[in-house]
Amino acid sequence: MSEIILLRNREIENLRNYDVYVEHGGFEALKKTLQMDPEDVITEVKDSNLRGRGGAGFPTGVKWNFMPREDVTKYVAVNADESEPGTFKDREIMEENPYQLLEGSLICAYAVGAELVYIYIRGEYWEIAEILDESIERMRAEGLLGQDILGSGFSCDMHVHIGAGAYICGEETALLNSLEGKRGQPRIKPPFPAQSGLYSKPTVVNNVETLANVPWIMEHGADAFKAIGTEGGAGTKIFSVSGCVNKPGNYELPLGITFRELFEIAGGITDGNQVKGILPAGASAAILPATDEILDMPLDYESLKPYGTGLGSASVIVLDETVDMAWAASKMVQFFAHESCGQCTPCREGTYWLERLYERIDHGDLDPEDVERMDSVAAQMQGKCICALGEFAVNPVMATIKHFREDYDAAVAAAQGSGDIPVMPETTPAGD
Amino acid sequence: MAHHEEDTLVTVVIDDVEYQMPEGMNLVDAAKVYADNDIPVFCYHPKLGNAGNCRMCLVELGSPRRNRETGEMELAWFPTLQTACTQTVREGLHVRTATQWVADGRREILEFLLSSHPLDCPICDKGGECPLQNLTMRHGPGTSRMYWNDKMRLGKHIPLGEIIYLDQERCIHCARCIRFQEAIVDDPVLSFDKRGRKQQIITNSDPGFDSIFSGNTTDICPVGALTTADFRFNARPWEMQAIGGIDPHTPEGANFVYDVRPDREKGGMNTIKRIMPRQNEAVNEIWISDKTRFVHHYMDHPDRLTTPHIRKNGQLTPATWDEALEVVATKLNAAGARAAAIGGPRLANEDFFAIQALIRAMGSSSLAAYPALMDGADIVNQVGVASGTNLGDLGAGDAILVVASDLHQEAPIWWVRVKQAVERGAQLVLVTGRETRLDKWAAHIIRSPYGGEASALNALGDDVMQVLNGATHMVALVGSEGMSPATSRAVAQAAANLLIETGHVGQAGSGLIMVWPGANLQGAYDMGFHHRLGPGYEPVDEAGLDYAGIIEGLTNGGVEFLLVAGANPVFDDADAEAALSGTGAFVVVQDLFLTETAEFADVVLPAQSTAEREGTFTNGERRVQRFYQAIEPLGYELIDQGGGARADWLIARQLHNKLGGPVPEIAATQLFAQIAKTVPQYNGMSHAKLARVVPQFPDVGGDDLYYGGTSYTNVHGTGMQWPVRAEMGSEHVSTAGVDAPAAVQPEDGMLVVVPTTSHYNRERIFTYTDVLDQRIPLPYAALNPTTAEGLGVTDDERIVIRLDGRDVPVTVLVDPSVPENTAIVPRRLQKQGAPHATTTAPVLRMERVEQ
Amino acid sequence: MALMTTRRADIEHHLAKYPDKRSAVMPLLYIAQEEYGHITQEAIAEIAEIIDVDVTHIRGLIGFYTMYHDKPKGRHLLYICTDLPCAVRGAEAFSEQIQEHLGIGHGDTTADGMFTLENVMCIGACHRAPVMQVDFRFNYNGANWEDLTFERAKQQIEDLREAQQTE
Ligand SMILES: Cc1cc2nc3c(=O)[nH]c(=O)nc-3n(C[C@H](O)[C@H](O)[C@H](O)COP(=O)(O)O)c2cc1C
Ligand code: SF4
Ligand code: FES
Repeated sequence: MSEIILLRNREIENLRNYDVYVEHGGFEALKKTLQMDPEDVITEVKDSNLRGRGGAGFPTGVKWNFMPREDVTKYVAVNADESEPGTFKDREIMEENPYQLLEGSLICAYAVGAELVYIYIRGEYWEIAEILDESIERMRAEGLLGQDILGSGFSCDMHVHIGAGAYICGEETALLNSLEGKRGQPRIKPPFPAQSGLYSKPTVVNNVETLANVPWIMEHGADAFKAIGTEGGAGTKIFSVSGCVNKPGNYELPLGITFRELFEIAGGITDGNQVKGILPAGASAAILPATDEILDMPLDYESLKPYGTGLGSASVIVLDETVDMAWAASKMVQFFAHESCGQCTPCREGTYWLERLYERIDHGDLDPEDVERMDSVAAQMQGKCICALGEFAVNPVMATIKHFREDYDAAVAAAQGSGDIPVMPETTPAGD
Repeated sequence: MAHHEEDTLVTVVIDDVEYQMPEGMNLVDAAKVYADNDIPVFCYHPKLGNAGNCRMCLVELGSPRRNRETGEMELAWFPTLQTACTQTVREGLHVRTATQWVADGRREILEFLLSSHPLDCPICDKGGECPLQNLTMRHGPGTSRMYWNDKMRLGKHIPLGEIIYLDQERCIHCARCIRFQEAIVDDPVLSFDKRGRKQQIITNSDPGFDSIFSGNTTDICPVGALTTADFRFNARPWEMQAIGGIDPHTPEGANFVYDVRPDREKGGMNTIKRIMPRQNEAVNEIWISDKTRFVHHYMDHPDRLTTPHIRKNGQLTPATWDEALEVVATKLNAAGARAAAIGGPRLANEDFFAIQALIRAMGSSSLAAYPALMDGADIVNQVGVASGTNLGDLGAGDAILVVASDLHQEAPIWWVRVKQAVERGAQLVLVTGRETRLDKWAAHIIRSPYGGEASALNALGDDVMQVLNGATHMVALVGSEGMSPATSRAVAQAAANLLIETGHVGQAGSGLIMVWPGANLQGAYDMGFHHRLGPGYEPVDEAGLDYAGIIEGLTNGGVEFLLVAGANPVFDDADAEAALSGTGAFVVVQDLFLTETAEFADVVLPAQSTAEREGTFTNGERRVQRFYQAIEPLGYELIDQGGGARADWLIARQLHNKLGGPVPEIAATQLFAQIAKTVPQYNGMSHAKLARVVPQFPDVGGDDLYYGGTSYTNVHGTGMQWPVRAEMGSEHVSTAGVDAPAAVQPEDGMLVVVPTTSHYNRERIFTYTDVLDQRIPLPYAALNPTTAEGLGVTDDERIVIRLDGRDVPVTVLVDPSVPENTAIVPRRLQKQGAPHATTTAPVLRMERVEQ
Repeated sequence: MALMTTRRADIEHHLAKYPDKRSAVMPLLYIAQEEYGHITQEAIAEIAEIIDVDVTHIRGLIGFYTMYHDKPKGRHLLYICTDLPCAVRGAEAFSEQIQEHLGIGHGDTTADGMFTLENVMCIGACHRAPVMQVDFRFNYNGANWEDLTFERAKQQIEDLREAQQTE
């Protein structure tokens, strides 16, 4: 059994209870950290090679290190927006192991000298926000938040901010705008949040899972963390596995695991089918064809780069042979069209146009030029958008056309009367 | 935004050519100014900064970077195209704008923008002056690859209030309008609604699009999404001719053009189709208020007078000019030194000059510029803002003092510019009786009781004095809120003393500005239209009657002949009405309409509107600016029958000639030459020199309208500021004692009633403009909640205020920004609806009116 | 009744969380929605006043975020995720079954005003498809609304309807 850092709740019953958390070593890392020089905390995290679990995989210690050292107001924003299709990992941390996230966030605040932490949680996690609120209240009561925490001289408070249905608010600068009470539209970068973030003050934005790793790192040391996983990705990672597997769910595994192993752990492919395509990071990273080479690739932040995709938040959507990839792409295109913030031209217009083009499949109107048009409209968006959402929206289109052209050809053939309009195969609703 | 000589120059390479450019300047601006390279933009605007959302300005960008291994600096090209509008000039920047990659990028963005854009250019108001159209011609795809049926279908001509219409299908989401409303004029009443492709502009204000600057959004909108109700479907841009004009209604002297076109309905005569801003960076930049833009419909209104009238048997009866002038000349001659004139603020310098010369030729100096709320032009002559002053240059280290003014209503353009100066770092000190829309930007607010403003200025605290003393530049703006000539003079003198004592006179960027209640009162005084001061502020040997004296003189025989030009005192002043109705004096009114005052006249002479003639106005910053004839004078066709409107100056000159004066000049230009000789401050000026244009930055309009919008390039003249005495040396100025009146105290059971200026009012000229009609407030009295409660009244109830023996019904507006025991009553919301040009209403009785 | 009368403590609690009161707009909008079922023009005006932001911008927020609504909706909002991961596990068919059961289409409200149904994008329960949220919650009326079958969902909906009617 490999090391479990985050989903300790699977082993420890009732870990979400404050006393249970403390009983199992909770807040020891914080106590240790508060004795340290903040600079050393940053160094420790930097040395651990912890990389952001929110999607971009940016080294966390390096990000903290960007924060100015002057004594100015600074903030920490915890990204609990978790809206990427196929992602449900932060949810489990917050539901079952909330104090570990809060402890990690507080350590972060201490390291960078922030006095306030905001947890930006998506609106659909209403109940989870309540759990966080209660946990924060308990920490206040225990003297772990507020003035002069544990006699360290460090003062900090935390608040939960509930979003209201906008995937884009997971993008860090959109998140900050939303937190400021504005429409959640991304900002132009630079400046980056570490220079000018919330209320134009230096701000660290980190993902829930990223921060939940921090207490463990502070307790066991950077080397212990680095010992887990690979060079391209230290530590464990929660893989949210969904789609065509028998046991979808969260699996905390060391980085370096392969898809084949992962699917095995997740109960294998439904109905004994063959896996056809793998979305390694929800809808936003390009789909991979399930070749042996891919299936046996050790997964970390570097290994998928040559394939034009990435591990992102490791929300793995498994699509088996029954899934029509043009249909799958159209679902993702719909998602991005629905979630585009509307600010920049290529994303706003491109996602709308793509959605219209994909509708032609459904309407039985797809002609061969339409497939080229989809590809070129997507290409036309590439490299021109303000934020990554517009770039994400390109992936389902270009990657499915590249790897699964036959599914489009079938749609064209159907439209020309030489085949059936593909419909989604009937799957029995899963469940109890 | 603006660039200055002292900026550090760095080397930037654009398309393989090296340029020296000021560090920190926006790359789009720099490329345009220094490399003559037009990077196409939609969302970027030199006055609004970047939003980076349209992605039209894509370029290849290379930036110097240190190689980690070798330590050498090397050029690193970005792997994707970058938006130029989000870049600032820095040393070693490399830009490529002419490559295939860039051309593709531009074409691709345009294809996206056009994919759902209706191709209705032939019926679109923006067609012909549309940035999207122009840039598509230059950079766009020839055809769209989008299925027509798939286009986003959205609302057409959605009224955002009654002034501005939105065509949602045309909007390209650049957010210029939203940003303008938020950042420039602080009326954040536009926003995007929804998101993605459903994102749309909305307003939720009441009334819709509630801003006195709303029209500007139609200029900067790079497509035809925003149009004015006033101009929609009215004319095509290429059919119109742009004629330079100056705002005849407010003291800032906003530059604009009359867009005129011959109209069949007008018998093929030129008609004003719209007014558009004309760039003058020292005056209004590229902005005009909605009042400036829309209030021109009176000019061709059927109510206009086209022929002289003479009262016969109690009736005003049409007559020829010859007859009318003959009668007037005879009466004037008989009155001799008992002649007087009242001149309103729409009169040009040429008019004021000619009329004062006429009256003075009779041996009288009874000359009153109207409205007579303020005094102190001679103080301006000493310490007015020095020539070269540009409010747009004020910023960090400078101080601005605003006294007795709700600048937002009195002079909206100055309000914008003061606010922006504060945003650039200037410190604002307010001495006002109530909260106004400048409070938000003020560093110090002195809430002086009404009437006590001069005393408040005399007793500024150390903290404020520190700001003023330490300021590099200091401008004082003195307004008309609650003012009478006497209180106004005291305030002006106190402000002047402060400027002198803190060493802020005689240098560009510092001095006094009077916020005159009208377009050309500064010019009136410059021309000697004053009972004590002749042309150029030379004291006259024998003072004449001032406004109050003239009105009195109508009753006591002191005035036997009165000429009223471009003024309607009866509308404001019950005393004037009483005096005119009983006077034995001969009264001549020259105006556009048969005004309330003209009803009492013995002779009424039809005058030309500003657009029908030429002339000059002098704004509150003493910038003399020229306006041109845009349309044929009304009643042009009646000339042969002895009718038709005439310019005010010409009427005066013709009368003067009949009484032995010189032969009338044939053009205003000629008369101006006379002014330049007579008025020392205007020495060296001429209409020709006023038509010169100093280079403007940013360079908007013209071919580049995608860059700045449809504001017009200034080809008509940027005007000349005349020098004040302080500029000749400190020995020419000295402080003077201030006759500071006591603050008006409310007596038991009475209110202090303060006449103020409302941007929109019920003067005749306003009510002729349909789109603004709904914006003119009902006559109201704003009361503090406590005061209202004490009186037992609440919002929207009607009460009667007893002013100088008149019962004035007004609607209550409960407003916490009004001090207690005070009623704010804007002037001109109804006939004689505000107290007599003073700050007090000592007599006050409140009554409930049954609805 | 104004929000400041009925929910003053909650509003003040949220205002205290932020250095800039504008930030409180999102929690305040939720409060308005809780109070009135949807965000009314009066509530918008009141919130605008409290946080000193123009009403237009509050409208712009309501339009941007899908979880706010300014038009009346059913008493309960049912969200069914039909995004890709759920869809490959039959969520679209599930939604159609529910729609048929309720006799309404996507986005509609039942005749008794009890339910409004919306197909939504991923709500973070892909491993428990088909899934439904009631008023933004996975657990409601004593039941969990994840890993549903049509039969169980139908039962839970009817239980909820009953619970409301007996209320
Ligand atoms: C469209 C978009 C959506 C995103 N959504 C999320 C999200 O839901 N949660 C998250 O943690 N990061 C999300 N991110 C990534 C964040 O912008 C940011 O990189 C991350 O929160 C940084 O935290 P980390 O360094 O700990 O990963 C998103 C990015 C984009 C462009
Ligand atoms: S890429 Fe899409 S989501 Fe990102 S800023 Fe542009 S429009 Fe908004
Ligand atoms: S993005 Fe640069 S001009 Fe719009």
